[in-house]
Amino acid sequence: MTMATKLQRRLILDIPTGFLLLFFVMPLTALVILSFWQTENYKIVYEWTLINYGTLATEGAYITFFLRSLAMAIGVSIALVILSWPIAYFIVRYGGRYRIVFSLLLVIPFLSGEVLRLIALQGMLGPAGLVNGALIRMGAAPLRMIMYSNTASFIAFIYLYLPLVVTTVYLSLINFDFRLAHAASACGANRFRIFTEVVWPLNLSGTIVGFMLAFIPTLSASLVPRFLGGPNGTLYGMSMAQQFGESGTWALGAAMGVVLFLFSVLALGILSFGVDLRRTGFTGLGRS
Amino acid sequence: MSQSGSYIRIDNVSRRYGSFKALDDVSLDIAKEEFIAILGPSGSGKSTLLRLIAGLDRPTEGRVHFEGKDVTELAPHKRGIGMVFQEFLLFPHRTVRENLAFPLRMRKEPKADVEERVEWVAGILSLSTMLDRYPSQLSGGQQQRVALGRGLVARPTLLLLDEPLANLDRELRQEMEIEIRRYQKQLGIPFIYVTHNQEEALSMSDRIAVINNGRLEALGERQAIYDYPETPFVARFVGKSSRFQGTVGPDGKVVRLARHNHEFALPTGSHLIAGDAVDIFVKNERFDIARKQDGGSGIPSTVVDVVLRGPFVEYVLETDRGDTVIAVKPKRNDAIPIQERVLLSWKPDDCHLFKAGT
Repeated sequence: MTMATKLQRRLILDIPTGFLLLFFVMPLTALVILSFWQTENYKIVYEWTLINYGTLATEGAYITFFLRSLAMAIGVSIALVILSWPIAYFIVRYGGRYRIVFSLLLVIPFLSGEVLRLIALQGMLGPAGLVNGALIRMGAAPLRMIMYSNTASFIAFIYLYLPLVVTTVYLSLINFDFRLAHAASACGANRFRIFTEVVWPLNLSGTIVGFMLAFIPTLSASLVPRFLGGPNGTLYGMSMAQQFGESGTWALGAAMGVVLFLFSVLALGILSFGVDLRRTGFTGLGRS
Repeated sequence: MSQSGSYIRIDNVSRRYGSFKALDDVSLDIAKEEFIAILGPSGSGKSTLLRLIAGLDRPTEGRVHFEGKDVTELAPHKRGIGMVFQEFLLFPHRTVRENLAFPLRMRKEPKADVEERVEWVAGILSLSTMLDRYPSQLSGGQQQRVALGRGLVARPTLLLLDEPLANLDRELRQEMEIEIRRYQKQLGIPFIYVTHNQEEALSMSDRIAVINNGRLEALGERQAIYDYPETPFVARFVGKSSRFQGTVGPDGKVVRLARHNHEFALPTGSHLIAGDAVDIFVKNERFDIARKQDGGSGIPSTVVDVVLRGPFVEYVLETDRGDTVIAVKPKRNDAIPIQERVLLSWKPDDCHLFKAGT
């Protein structure tokens, strides 16, 4: 091997490795260490303790926030998968030459930034918003459930992550060989069996990726509940952000971060190791 | 109307895509226990015809009958067919065993029967040792056999084969040709075999339907299709042949070649009359070659190459007008050497004449 190619290989490997170490591993390590210390009066006490984790495991509010976040993340991700499949399927099957246009249209909301999108949604769902404003004008009672509630947060999460999940399922379906569906049909499978036996399992890995792309940010979300969650809508991530902000209890916040990290890893592990990739047609070799 | 003895009846079927006629008024009767090849170049409409029979597509006009029953509007999974695809289309997430069991499971057969049928089909296709592998772990030939097994396992009314050997190498293809024909005889159900490869059609089928530009160009016993082509297209497409142009002489008894100084007697019973311009097709193996020094008549040519093909020899000839003609002869010890001057001719009954422009 010549010096030049050796240098090339070093650069290709070392730059990303260095980047990951500096910006991913180091902050994570710092977070873990901080979670075993304490904060008193906005000062860090360098004393090893498990007290933060104890607080999180015993104090009712944190348990509620966590369970609420978990339920929200699972509900949102499942709803998104159910919503995204027909949309992606429609674009892939019937989009024809406009497929690329449709898939780009899906991404357009992303161009405006999360805060802006949430403020727009607040305008839609709030007490004087578009929906309730119209209802009041028509003499009907406003929908309380969409004003500053967990339902409002749920709608917001769906709105925020739908493009991500649709795009992921779309990418999976666009690479799916629909002639396999013809083969199944010739083998005597009706539409339902074609879907359950062939189309769904062969797009499961893509669907799982979509699920995770919605699950992880929902689990740790702080902006959505702050803008739309209302008094009973505090989620774990929002509470965590408060520890680093208003309350100045960084160590407790760090412990919450560690909990979120571990649960995301756990969810990823369950979904990727609980599914036999071979049963999704995944060979690790691409399509042959 | 269609209560004849035919098992599969395709009745004046057309398929249009917009203004494009993929299939134009095709009728075809297929008997039980018959092996029929649908032969045509790519884009001729032969695959469309197969898809209409399978139910994967619907005809714009015409009907399809199975055993006297109109199935035109019936979904593929209700037709009781088996199908083998060019790309195999095995389910990549299922083992060989599960692929073979799939059609049986879809027909809700009892578990014991499923296992028995899978064992049976794996037995006749020599797949018993690889039942627990995934398709990606098999060679092309093995995948092909699994695809064939999946088509046959559920006792289909008929088996549709869409260029099933196109992705295999030559040697394997010839082996599979014999195998497939044997299965068909063994099972006694019609096989409808779509191919663009005339050798496959000739080696396997009982009858051949030649499709060109969406129309049924010819239909007949394979021997008849080969020896007595009804149209210039069939003459050109089935078998390997060379084309010449000529005119019928003023006496109406000879055909004179346009580019070469050669003439031969017009076969008796020909409809051609004096002055007709004709296209002449001669199959490569029907040529006579004589050494020029031995005298006689024919197109003066030179042997430019001799290709040995086992029991046959291909003589690559160049006529004095610069055309290349290939003549196939049985291999004998007195092969004509390269650079030898020869005369190329054929017996009047060994060529096929068509009025030019038909």
